[in-house]
Amino acid sequence: MNCFKINDIYDYIEGSLSSERREELERHLSVCPRCRRAVEDRKLIAGAAFGLPPLAIPDDFTDRVMARIAPAKVKPPVWLFILACASSFLALTAMVMNASGRSALGVISGASHSFWEYVKSAAVLTAKVATLLSLAGKTVRPLLEAASKGLSLLTSFIHPGLQVLILVVAICLVVSLFFGMKKKLSLGD
Amino acid sequence: MNEEQDQVLVRRTLRGDKKAFEMIVRKYQRPLLNYVGRMVGERELALDFTQDVFVRAYASLRSFEPQYKFSTWLFKIASNLVIDHWRKKKLPAFSLSEPLGEDGDCLTVDVPDDEPAVARKFELAELRQRIETALEKLPGPLRELFVWRHVNELSYEEMAEIKGLPLGTIKNRVFQAKEMVRRLLQEMS
Repeated sequence: MNCFKINDIYDYIEGSLSSERREELERHLSVCPRCRRAVEDRKLIAGAAFGLPPLAIPDDFTDRVMARIAPAKVKPPVWLFILACASSFLALTAMVMNASGRSALGVISGASHSFWEYVKSAAVLTAKVATLLSLAGKTVRPLLEAASKGLSLLTSFIHPGLQVLILVVAICLVVSLFFGMKKKLSLGD
Repeated sequence: MNEEQDQVLVRRTLRGDKKAFEMIVRKYQRPLLNYVGRMVGERELALDFTQDVFVRAYASLRSFEPQYKFSTWLFKIASNLVIDHWRKKKLPAFSLSEPLGEDGDCLTVDVPDDEPAVARKFELAELRQRIETALEKLPGPLRELFVWRHVNELSYEEMAEIKGLPLGTIKNRVFQAKEMVRRLLQEMS
C-alpha cells in the first residue's frame, strides 16, 4: 500500500491539494487506517492551534504607544530638505543684494571673481607645501637609514642581556631628566 | 484586515493625522502582541517590543510602499526586532533557507508511521496548553512560522513576502514546524 507523504496530508487538511490528488488520497484513506489516523490527528492539532488563547493587552497600551510617538516626527522626505536649503540660500542672496545696493549680476560676478582668486591662492599654497614635504623627505631619509644601519651594527656586537640593561638605563635617564626639567622649569602637570 | 482601509489610514497619518495612526495601533496591537509574546516569552518585554514596532513603523512610514500589504510590513518590522533580540541573547537560530539537519529535514518526507494519535489523548483546553509548551521548545524560526500560520492566520504568500523566501520553502518549513509540535506532544503524553 502506497501511503501519502506528510506534506500531502497537510495540503489535504488545508484544502490546497488538487482535486485529482484529493480524490486519490480519499480513496487511499478509505482503505488505510494508518493514514486515516494521521489525518485525524493532524486535523485535531491544527484545529486546537488555530484557537490558541490571545495574550491580554493592557487597557492603556494604545495611549502608551501614542505618548511615545508624540515627540517623534515622521521623517520629512529628502527633497523637502533640499528645497528648504535652496529657498534659504535664495533669500540670503536677495538680502545681501538688497543691503549692498548692487544688481544681481554684479553680486554674482563679484562672488565668482573672489571665488576664483581663492582657488588660485589655494592651488599655489598646495604646490609649495608639496615641494617642501618632498625636500624634507629627501633630506631626512638618508639620515634615518644611516642611523638604522649604525644601530643594527652596534647591536650585533653587544650581548642581548646588555642591550636590555642599556635600554632600561636609558629609559630611567629620560624619565629622571623629564622630572628634573619639570621641577627646574616649573612646568606643572 | 481590510487592506484598503489600512492604506487610507497610512495616507492620513502621513498628512499628520495622529488619530489615524491611533486606529492603526488599535487594529494591530493584539495580533502583534500575540506574535511577539510567543517569540520572546516574557510579557513585559513583549509589550515593550510591540510598542517599539509601532514607534519604528511611525518613524519610517514614508518608506512604506503602498503596493505591499501594510500588515505584512508591520510583521516584517516585528520579525526584525525579534531576530535582533535572539542575536543579542545569543539564542540558537538558523536560516530558514538552509537545511535543518538530520533531525528536522526528515520530518516532511516521511509517510505516516504507526505512532498512536496524540490529539485524542487530551481535552481541547489541555491540548492547547500543551501546544503552547511545545512551542516554547521549538527552534525560533520554526516557532515564528507556526505562530504566523495558526495564531495570526497569515497566508503562505504573506509569510514568504515577510521572510523574502520562496513560497515552497516557507510551506515546507511550516509543515516541519507542525510535525515538530506533534512530535513534542507525543513526548509529553
